[in-house]
Amino acid sequence: MADVHEKQLEELLAHPSVWRGRSRAAVETFPTGFASLDAGLPGGGWPRHGLVEILTPQPGVGELYLLLPALAALSRLAPARWCTWVSPPHEPFAPALAAHGVALDRMLIVRTHLPLWAHEQALRSGACEVALAWLPRASPRAVRRLQLAAEQGRALGVLYRSQKYASEASPAMLRVLLEPTKHGARLRLLKSRGGTREPIDLTWAPAAAA
Amino acid sequence: MTHARQKSLFEPGDVSAAPSVLRVRPAPPPPTGPGSEGQAALELDPRELWVAAHVPHLSLHALPAGESGAPLVVLDEARNPRIIGADEKAQSAGVRVGMTLGAALAIAPDIDARPRDTARELALMQRLAGIAATFTPQVSIEAPDGLLLEIKPSIRLFGGLKELCRQLREACAADAVLARSGALPHFTLAPTALAALAAARAGARCFITDPRQLPARLKLLPVGVLRWDDDANTRLLGMGVRTLGDLLRLPRAGFARRFGPALLADLDRLQGRRADPRRRLARRERFRTRVDLDHEIENHDRILEVLRPLLDELEQFLRSRQRGITALQCRFHHYRAAPTTCALRLAAPEADAARLQSLLRERLANVRLPEPVRRCELRGGALTERPLASRPLWSPGERGHAPANEMPALIEHLRARLGAQAVYGIGCVSEHRPENAWRVTEPALAPVVSAADAGSVGLPFRRPPWLLHAPQELDSQRGRPRYGGVLELLAGPERIESGWWDGADARRDYYVARDARGARFWIYRECVGAGKWFLHGLFG
Repeated sequence: MADVHEKQLEELLAHPSVWRGRSRAAVETFPTGFASLDAGLPGGGWPRHGLVEILTPQPGVGELYLLLPALAALSRLAPARWCTWVSPPHEPFAPALAAHGVALDRMLIVRTHLPLWAHEQALRSGACEVALAWLPRASPRAVRRLQLAAEQGRALGVLYRSQKYASEASPAMLRVLLEPTKHGARLRLLKSRGGTREPIDLTWAPAAAA
Repeated sequence: MTHARQKSLFEPGDVSAAPSVLRVRPAPPPPTGPGSEGQAALELDPRELWVAAHVPHLSLHALPAGESGAPLVVLDEARNPRIIGADEKAQSAGVRVGMTLGAALAIAPDIDARPRDTARELALMQRLAGIAATFTPQVSIEAPDGLLLEIKPSIRLFGGLKELCRQLREACAADAVLARSGALPHFTLAPTALAALAAARAGARCFITDPRQLPARLKLLPVGVLRWDDDANTRLLGMGVRTLGDLLRLPRAGFARRFGPALLADLDRLQGRRADPRRRLARRERFRTRVDLDHEIENHDRILEVLRPLLDELEQFLRSRQRGITALQCRFHHYRAAPTTCALRLAAPEADAARLQSLLRERLANVRLPEPVRRCELRGGALTERPLASRPLWSPGERGHAPANEMPALIEHLRARLGAQAVYGIGCVSEHRPENAWRVTEPALAPVVSAADAGSVGLPFRRPPWLLHAPQELDSQRGRPRYGGVLELLAGPERIESGWWDGADARRDYYVARDARGARFWIYRECVGAGKWFLHGLFG
């Protein structure tokens, strides 16, 4: 009898909408390209849709290398949706992206003084697989809007922000703090649905490592 | 007339015997006269059916309604003007078409004589042609007051010949502009274009599909309906020829000698012995409309409300042609200031009014109007092919969904608000100088198979994913570059020396450097001059 109840309970808990503290919730994911990161993230990779915040102490610490393997894989899907870069701080350097296997014809750069609006449009449109955005300021309410837009457009939204926002609450489904190390970076999952609490060390591919 | 004499007409060199390229049976048996009834029917091509629409008294209808109530006559543009139209009052006073103005004034001194308005006549006929073009693509205007439609291929689509003609008549009657001017056409149907036109001009009832009935139907029409020149008409009258029946009975050879091959060819066309291709009317290819406001408005939402009917009209215009536009211009006229223009450029052909309105709303948000708006004008760009597609079964992002027009829509939406330059794609250029090794491109809307850029994976040198807009000069301390603190050089140098031919000469040694906090930079030192250090990229 106890077995039957336990089984029913298991079935109930296996439902995707039930989220238990440290358990791995069923989310659609795709591999990050880094084995150690895949092991630490809930579901074994980046979420397929939703909002991810990447917090860095300063630009130039590997924030793009973290995503490039995923971008390369996604931009070569068939049929591939687009990757939109909303107000990046510098020019994305085409030869370097191509060298990492990113399909340049699926990249769209948007330069704007309205990054929040543009990012929301890109996420909501359904045309983008990924939309990266660099926002100087974003209130929790704005981030919440972006999270909803990403779910609606079934896109992965990536928000690059400064490390100083690490202590703020955020509605993003995944928050990653990135710190540079000698040959790579150390990641901490500030917020995740069932990810590891241990720091994750990454080493960049030889093409990227200095 | 002997058979031998008749044959001589068809010798080479004779214009009337020149073989027609279109639809004339090879080597027809020579007819005995221009209108020998028995044989003519056999040679008609029953593959065509023509509807003619003739607007009686078009020149009168084209004039604005007279307020005076005086008898109205219309004059042609000759130096000694003749009357080409007279209303009922003028006709009952004795004025006839063809009189000189002097003669008419002598009979009825109180007539209101006006010059004809050819532009408006043409506009009315074009309006009529626009309606006709919804029934068949083969529409031509027979200046000044006739219209020809070849309807044979459309019969099945419209559910039969009778039904098609009924719909055509109703569509013309329902048109507000035509109804207001009173220019309602008289319709006829015949197997040849000229026969239909002749019957329509005579105002005769004519609804024949069988070529054999044609001669009997034409017989009673007056010769004038062919609109030959006055000289020919006078001579025919002198010969006692008053109807088409009389005319067709004339000997062919004698007719050709007296009146020339051109008129003989006309008779052949009338009976279908000779091909009678008509040039299709080119339809208006740009959309333009405007609305004058009865009061001035400033509010953007009100302007959009005013524009909505214009956009609906544009949508109708485009849908009837299965076309779309990629550019739309909106002009707002003010009382004093120069007109404000608001241009919309679209990534893919569009015909949907609601979507255009939402794009205009984004675009208008950036437009500052110097004064209230008195008139709005809408100008569509060139029409382009608009591929028709069904709605997708899957929503974007779901498995099985094929990307449709979400991306063009997103690009338009962003560009409408941010400007065209703000949204772009990137591409590689084969060039050593990093600042020239990439370029801004138009976003590739058609998915490109990216075999070409996959080939560049084997780049022997490291390139940073971030490039600065312009190299940033770094401080240096005893020859060591500083950026925040002293930078540690990790790799390098890589010499890039290029561009002596285009004036942007570059001789640089590139290094990978790291600062104390672990961020890595791509820096270079000028090989010329003071050897300054510059920051050019970030290994982000």
